[in-house]
Amino acid sequence: MNPKAHVHKKITVDDVLKSPVVASPLKLLDCCPFSDGASGAILCSEEFAKKSGRPYIEVIGSGRGASPASVQGREDITTIPSTVAAARQAYKMAGVSPKDIDFAEVHDCFTIAEIIDIEDLGFFPKGKAAHAVRDGATRLNGEIPINPSGGLKSKGHPIGATGVGQVAEVFEQFTGKAGERTVPNSEIALTHNFGATGASAAVHIFKKVDKK
Amino acid sequence: MIEEKLSTHKSTAEKFIEAANRKKILAQKCLKCGHLMLETVFFCEKCAGNKFEQVDLEGSGIVVTYTIQAVVPEGFEDVGSYAWVVFKLDNAPLRASGLLPGIKTPADLPIGTKVRVAGYDPKHGLMLQK
Repeated sequence: MNPKAHVHKKITVDDVLKSPVVASPLKLLDCCPFSDGASGAILCSEEFAKKSGRPYIEVIGSGRGASPASVQGREDITTIPSTVAAARQAYKMAGVSPKDIDFAEVHDCFTIAEIIDIEDLGFFPKGKAAHAVRDGATRLNGEIPINPSGGLKSKGHPIGATGVGQVAEVFEQFTGKAGERTVPNSEIALTHNFGATGASAAVHIFKKVDKK
Repeated sequence: MIEEKLSTHKSTAEKFIEAANRKKILAQKCLKCGHLMLETVFFCEKCAGNKFEQVDLEGSGIVVTYTIQAVVPEGFEDVGSYAWVVFKLDNAPLRASGLLPGIKTPADLPIGTKVRVAGYDPKHGLMLQK
């Protein structure tokens, strides 16, 4: 669905379960590849964007959070405090709540990371995300589509380019360039990226700009 | 005098290693609020205080989570299949992590298993034993 994706294979649950163990319980197909890639975005004033005559999207919320870098330093390993803090700030700045988000690009470096992310971002109650994913809630036509780009595990993880790559996906979605992976009727989207096992996380919220 | 001080000064890392070789975990206790943390922090996570007292904690605890490295990377051949373990200390509200050799499957290491510090390996860091 994404012509720029690193991994273009159709993966079944069986394929994942049969793939080699990397670090138990994670199998090879639970882990994102390291990819070569680049991404870019131009940050500018609304006035400049309008004058340019080119399509643009609007940033309506931005948040940044930090957590202890070491896993043993965390009180609970089923949440990433930096994500929670960054999301709280971004929602507050944008004046929206998780239920207002039409789709999200999240840092799914491993299968479990996506589950933790979408609970920390408030899309699902604690302990319910895995069931929701299994029931299709995060698919393109689901309640809250997650990673229409393919995410880190399929689109790929070019490390430093991953965060802005998520923004590029939102841009393509909001400007009619996402083709068959378009999330229908989406107007507000969220991107979530982190580094160093979640020591630092950034959450951004974007709004589609109506063409008048 | 300054030179003498420098020559006898031990870094926090050296003190941690010495403690580990005595089967202890070196921790920092915030002098302002009493919060306990591992030795590597510069500011208290709770109150941002920066004055600490170093304390030796008994290096025994229970396994709270782990991962098994069955196919070991280069340089870890001597420990075979091993687990990287996060354990909660018995006598403090604190977690530490270390390497436990000889673990092949999750059946070898149920959550809650008792572990203790065995020492410090220059290549692998904090070593644990059951």
